[in-house]
Amino acid sequence: MSGDRLAISHWERLLATLELVTHALPRGDTPIILSSLADAGPSPQWGSGFSFVHGPAGRNIALAVGLRAALPHVPLILAMNADSVTLGTNHLIHAARRNVGMTLLLLRSELTRSDAASGQDRTAWELRGPQCGLEAPARPLEWASALDAALVGRACLEDPAELAALLLRALRKPGFSVLGVTTDRSLATGVLSECDWPEYFDRYRDWARPLRENARARDAAVAAPATARSVPRYEVRIAGLGGHGVKLAGTVLSEAAGFHEGLWATQRGDYGSATRGGPSSVDVVIGSERITYPCADEPDALVVLSQAAADRHAAALKPGARLVADLGEVTRLPPNALAVPIAAIARAHTGKPIAAGVVALGCIAALTDAVRPESLKRSLAANLPRASLDSNMAACAAGFAATRAALEGVLHG
Amino acid sequence: MSNVSFMHGNEAAAEGAIAAGCRFYAGYPITPSTEIAEILSTRLPEVGGVFVQMEDEIASMAAIIGASLGGVKSATATSGPGFSLMQENLGFAVASEIPCVIINVQRVGPSTGLPTKAAQGDVMQARWGTHGDHPIIVLTPSTVQEAFALTVRAFNLAERFRTPVIVLMDAIVAQLKEKVLLPGRVDMECRTLPREGASYKPFAFGEGSVAPLAPFGGEHRYHVTGLLHDEHGFPTEDPEVVARWWRHMNTKLAAHLDEILDWEEEALDDADVAIVAYGGTARAAAHAVSLARARGVRAGLFKPRTLWPFPEEAVRALSRRVQRIVVAEMNMGQIRLEVERLAAGRVPVQGVHRADGLGILPAQIVEAAMAPLGRAA
Repeated sequence: MSGDRLAISHWERLLATLELVTHALPRGDTPIILSSLADAGPSPQWGSGFSFVHGPAGRNIALAVGLRAALPHVPLILAMNADSVTLGTNHLIHAARRNVGMTLLLLRSELTRSDAASGQDRTAWELRGPQCGLEAPARPLEWASALDAALVGRACLEDPAELAALLLRALRKPGFSVLGVTTDRSLATGVLSECDWPEYFDRYRDWARPLRENARARDAAVAAPATARSVPRYEVRIAGLGGHGVKLAGTVLSEAAGFHEGLWATQRGDYGSATRGGPSSVDVVIGSERITYPCADEPDALVVLSQAAADRHAAALKPGARLVADLGEVTRLPPNALAVPIAAIARAHTGKPIAAGVVALGCIAALTDAVRPESLKRSLAANLPRASLDSNMAACAAGFAATRAALEGVLHG
Repeated sequence: MSNVSFMHGNEAAAEGAIAAGCRFYAGYPITPSTEIAEILSTRLPEVGGVFVQMEDEIASMAAIIGASLGGVKSATATSGPGFSLMQENLGFAVASEIPCVIINVQRVGPSTGLPTKAAQGDVMQARWGTHGDHPIIVLTPSTVQEAFALTVRAFNLAERFRTPVIVLMDAIVAQLKEKVLLPGRVDMECRTLPREGASYKPFAFGEGSVAPLAPFGGEHRYHVTGLLHDEHGFPTEDPEVVARWWRHMNTKLAAHLDEILDWEEEALDDADVAIVAYGGTARAAAHAVSLARARGVRAGLFKPRTLWPFPEEAVRALSRRVQRIVVAEMNMGQIRLEVERLAAGRVPVQGVHRADGLGILPAQIVEAAMAPLGRAA
């Protein structure tokens, strides 16, 4: 594609047109030209009249999107050939759909080929050579009209004044324009379709203005945490299924430790691709020293919410560590497990299985004083919607009480 | 004055971009990098920047090049499949010396691979993914704090050397949440502009120097091309000019390695075993150092933060100080080969590798550090 060559005479006419247009634009509005045509590419013949981007074939449209975002008022003219209906088609569709301000000049195939076949439909590109006729031709002007491009038109290269007038009109119209440039005088010229949409980045700036003002007004200060106590590395793993609220539980616990206890804390989830029903677990590591390794491979506290989680994780427990298993969901209890009806508590207080993670936090608070219940409450308040806060707090407290009771049973029973 | 925050690596990278002055992001969301796009879609309009969700990663890479040419610091983020699509335009940014930042959050490949699982398999792709010889800078964070700091650094190096810079994160660091201290201000490299009125060579050849990049739309009009070009940006096939272009490209980073290279050493002073690890794996390696020392093995950690250019002299020196080197990485040996080349047979180099979606365990590294020599090297 980038090897396509424009006949010199056509090339000179196009250059003359661009110069005409530049003179008609306000001073300082010198267009930037983008093209991947070999002969339309950068060369001293352009002099210092224009800035020029000779990007990869077809990609100039996407490149122009970035240029337009950075330079709202500089005219962007893309001289394209077959790359508009091949590599660049998807970029053309989306720039047109969004109405990003740029003007495409589609330099028709007969301009870049010496052996333009006669008697063919010249509003379109088609295969040449032995496979001619196998495919329907590509019709980018019709595509652009269908995409509600700001302006779609056609002009004859042999009439530079007409082409210049149409190009000027396209450049002044906000948004995405496509002009077919032809030497075939039998084709209709002038504006083929128009559509009045705001230019994408004009609309973007209007949309963003209040966001910017709101952000300026927002209080950005974050309170420094309390001075840390000395807490040795403490590893927590909560494992269940997607939909158990495991990820949220990890966030609440790690922020309770990191923010409200002034400790160091990490949180690492393993959620898989599925959002619900697949295995899901979270590791939280807490301590008064910076956490190097963020995985709870040998947890001090492990909560398992499903049989699969119990089977997978219970063996990793180190001596002296505590395991809490859901009484009900985990039917084959691992040895030394504290059985707590976590899912039942979640349903009783919130009506939702997703609160199981929050109940698990209550279980963990009952096992360690690394994170105190007050910190957990503050972190819950920061991470849960107000409407469901009370029921979740109650569920968490019930998990705490049930775990303490189970511990009592182990210690005294 | 620092702000205490609790965030994951993706959020820290997004905040790092904002702090470094990035005001344009074009991207196509992909796991496990999606949060970067999600956060910047909110944060950029708040600071007067622009976020565009493009049609694909090819377009995203093209758009950030366009914005940078327009004078706006720009970035995109992706994961392996998207990074593959970016290679075409990444090469254009290299050849035309346009600064920009690409954050690649690595997941298990090839192809769609394991979309949510962490890997470090794009190390060589980050170095050589686009065709042709070329200089490139690749940074890799192993903590959330570093995800912020190295993203800031990526923007600064991109401007300083007029080059794309890749932040090669992995899903461990990207998805890991931890406490960070965000500085109120960061050092920011601003684009040097050419003098007004002076004759301007936008691609001036130098031995370790780069020309200032005038933003498009201003006084200086010039030509930018992916064809090999002269100092004005005009294409050339003249072997003499092409040779000078290569000399320029090959020296612009190589002459400033002391400025670019960055690594961390821990407990290496008396070490017999050096563990080389980077990114999320360096966390397991740091833990492995203390486990090994508790078992009487004097181990230490060498953690590169600049992957490319690779800290060659430092690793060569390391191979003269220790009895063995263990390289741990979530791929099949991409950096191990580099370390073996530099160790040049002076000490055994042993790899700990996996690419099954699970992180390397500290115990695996300890085992390699303590294994009888000669078993695997």
